[in-house]
Amino acid sequence: MSSGKSFAVLGLFDSPDALMGAIPKVRGKQLGTLEAYTPYPIHGIDDALGLRRSPLGGMVLVMGILGAITAFGFEYWISAIDYPIVTGGKAPSSWEAFVPIMFEVTVLFATFTAGLGMLLLLNKLPFFGHPVLSSDAMKAITRDRYALAIESEGEGFDAEAAKAALLAAGATQIEVLPEPDRGPFLSADYILRVAGGIFAACVVAGLAMFGAVKLFPVLAPMSHMEDQPRLNAQKADPFFKDGFGMRMPVAGTVARGYLPLGVASQDEAASLVNPLPRSPEVLAMGKKIFHNRCELCHGALGNGVPTLTAAYGAKPANLQAQQFRDYPDGKIFWVITMGKNAMPSHAADLTETQRWAVVDYVRALQRAQNATDQDVKEAGAR
Amino acid sequence: MSSDAAIRTGAIPERLLEPPLTEGVVTPGSLDDQVLAFPDLRPPKQWYIGLAITLTALVIGFSFIGYTIATGIGVWGNNSPVFWAFDIINFVFWVGIGHAGTLISAILFLFRKRWRNAIARFAEAMTIFAVMCAGIFPLIHVGRPWLAFWLFPYPNQRGVWTNFRSPLLWDVFAVSTYFSVSLMFWFLGLVPDIASMRDRTTSKVRKTIYTVLSLGWRGAASHWQHYEKAYLLLAGLATGLVLSVHSVVSFDFATSVVPGWHMTIFPPYFVAGAIFAGFSMVVIVLVVVRETMQLKNLITMRHLDVMNKVILGMSCLMGYSYMMEGFTAWYSMNEYLHHTFMNIISGTYGWAGWLTISCNIFIPQLLWFKKCRTSYFWMIFVALAVTVGMWFERFVIIVISLHQDYLPSAWRIYKPTMVDFGVLLGSFGLFFTLVLLFARVLPVIATTEVKAILPGAQPSHHGDDHE
Repeated sequence: MSSGKSFAVLGLFDSPDALMGAIPKVRGKQLGTLEAYTPYPIHGIDDALGLRRSPLGGMVLVMGILGAITAFGFEYWISAIDYPIVTGGKAPSSWEAFVPIMFEVTVLFATFTAGLGMLLLLNKLPFFGHPVLSSDAMKAITRDRYALAIESEGEGFDAEAAKAALLAAGATQIEVLPEPDRGPFLSADYILRVAGGIFAACVVAGLAMFGAVKLFPVLAPMSHMEDQPRLNAQKADPFFKDGFGMRMPVAGTVARGYLPLGVASQDEAASLVNPLPRSPEVLAMGKKIFHNRCELCHGALGNGVPTLTAAYGAKPANLQAQQFRDYPDGKIFWVITMGKNAMPSHAADLTETQRWAVVDYVRALQRAQNATDQDVKEAGAR
Repeated sequence: MSSDAAIRTGAIPERLLEPPLTEGVVTPGSLDDQVLAFPDLRPPKQWYIGLAITLTALVIGFSFIGYTIATGIGVWGNNSPVFWAFDIINFVFWVGIGHAGTLISAILFLFRKRWRNAIARFAEAMTIFAVMCAGIFPLIHVGRPWLAFWLFPYPNQRGVWTNFRSPLLWDVFAVSTYFSVSLMFWFLGLVPDIASMRDRTTSKVRKTIYTVLSLGWRGAASHWQHYEKAYLLLAGLATGLVLSVHSVVSFDFATSVVPGWHMTIFPPYFVAGAIFAGFSMVVIVLVVVRETMQLKNLITMRHLDVMNKVILGMSCLMGYSYMMEGFTAWYSMNEYLHHTFMNIISGTYGWAGWLTISCNIFIPQLLWFKKCRTSYFWMIFVALAVTVGMWFERFVIIVISLHQDYLPSAWRIYKPTMVDFGVLLGSFGLFFTLVLLFARVLPVIATTEVKAILPGAQPSHHGDDHE
């Protein structure tokens, strides 16, 4: 509608038969390009108008094959070259499992070629500037009328002759159309250019991303669970006034299982009562601990004959001595807990129960090494 | 002999003639007035009531989805060894529903079954909505749906690629391709119809929307030529695709070693089941549409009759598949497979197995009678039975096979929770909400395609004899 120059003459027909009858009559006069506008596809009209066969089939075939190759190449490169992993015992290069996705991508490429290729490339749609769209006849064309148009882009278009030809061919209504409005926006070309630009940008961004990851593998723009706000043990932290990351327990805090003994010296400890029964289980536990921790210095029988410490000149106590046989349980417990002379404390390594079990085992050793005839008889009777 | 002679002489007996595809007098103009008028009219009261119901289901369902995402999928009944339950059942169920649409629009198009033209649009729309419903379930089953894009192979900072040997990745490609292709097919069919709506609407807003959506379609003969070619190609592509999609879905099961899943019959069996369930859903929706939108002259009893025949045929195919499952279990002499099959017909979930067999095999046999094929009551009864039966078929396949496999110490009875049912309800809500909205804003019948098959729509003789 940019200029008053006429671009096409359009004639309306009432039936497909009338349209088909008119085409050869008008076509013979060579007045311009013939185009028909119909509400639905009419069989045989492409031959009558002399339209060339649609090249869409070939385009779809080529793009479909390209889709298959693309998918296979992509899958093969990823699974066999860039990130080879063995799945189900198959070699990384085994290709059979790639077929389903190859098929899907083939269909995807072919479909988009058929659909968008038809609309954008072949039909040059969307295009809103065509004069037929704003013609009076358009309402009838999309409903139930059939139009034949003689169109010409160049100079020397004889609109009057075209009118006469269409009327002679039986058109019921005639309309002269102005030139197409070729605005830049929302035309197929514009959309294709923008889409092409976006596509190119995506490809460049994707490749750049891939390269960046290869160059800077530690780059982690997304960290989910690795990055947590917290205080690290043994590290300084400015959050607290004293600058320590860790906190001291409140004064007077007692850890579970480490209740204070309540006695201040070994003599006072004599009043402590062994809470454990002298059962085989307790003695078994005591034996095990004695083997692990005591035997090295005090000897397997507790008689102070060392297996190792002799080399260093130490003199571990002979637990079979009368002095220790007369000790109450509490005093032995005290020594294990607090240590004595060169002997270190075992309080950090053994719980109270374990310490008492050791006491019981020492008692058993003492009795075994100083057995009376009566003891032997009792053991034999059992 | 007589028929041959009749065809040669041109005197074809009445009983051999194809009955007309529409009832009463239908012209291209009256068709537009009938079908394309809906968007300009005020919807009737029933439509609002229907929308209120479906929206309620939608809101309830999506609240449950929100709850699932916020809490984690522990709120579902899934647990070892039944890790796949409602979500995969519903996924397979909805993808299957979608297949009918593609079958009608693509395969019947290739077979030149012209009766498809009147119902293709609705069936295609149902395909798209069903695939949307299906897509929800794997999405929320991944647990962290905001990371679902990890399913696609793209260069990432983790330096990790997807596993192309996993059927689950094939699924991602198959379903997303299926959705894209269906959408393309649907949109392509809509373009000329939207152009018709653009030219008849009086509202300025609508005209602008339709103008943009129709891409300036003007019905030029040179355009129609490419258009028809594209449509034919798309139909051919979609045909291969629809067969592949449910085959790929069945690979999720068939490529595993779970007894009851590891069978070569799965791909054709799944495709047949999908078409079966989909046709039933189409029948249900078409009956409602036909009655409430006054389209009896376009969607005739003959359409429903033919649809019901397809359902009957598919039911027989399903019966064969079920028998083959039993035969395979027996013939394999594999005690695990045997045990799984016995679980279907007896055992804790035996009721589900028998419900499946009754709804899918026994009840559709009613359609042998023409009276049932042309009666609303019976066809809806059968279609609802098939819908229920096909849902339970997936339940049987997934839950029964998983709940007792090779390791008896891991056996466990699966029980769905309220949330499972809520999400299922939500998917139905979404589906029918979209169907209702579609029925109001877009042409429910492909007017362009129906115009082309009306009597007198094509030139009486065409081709070379014009020259």
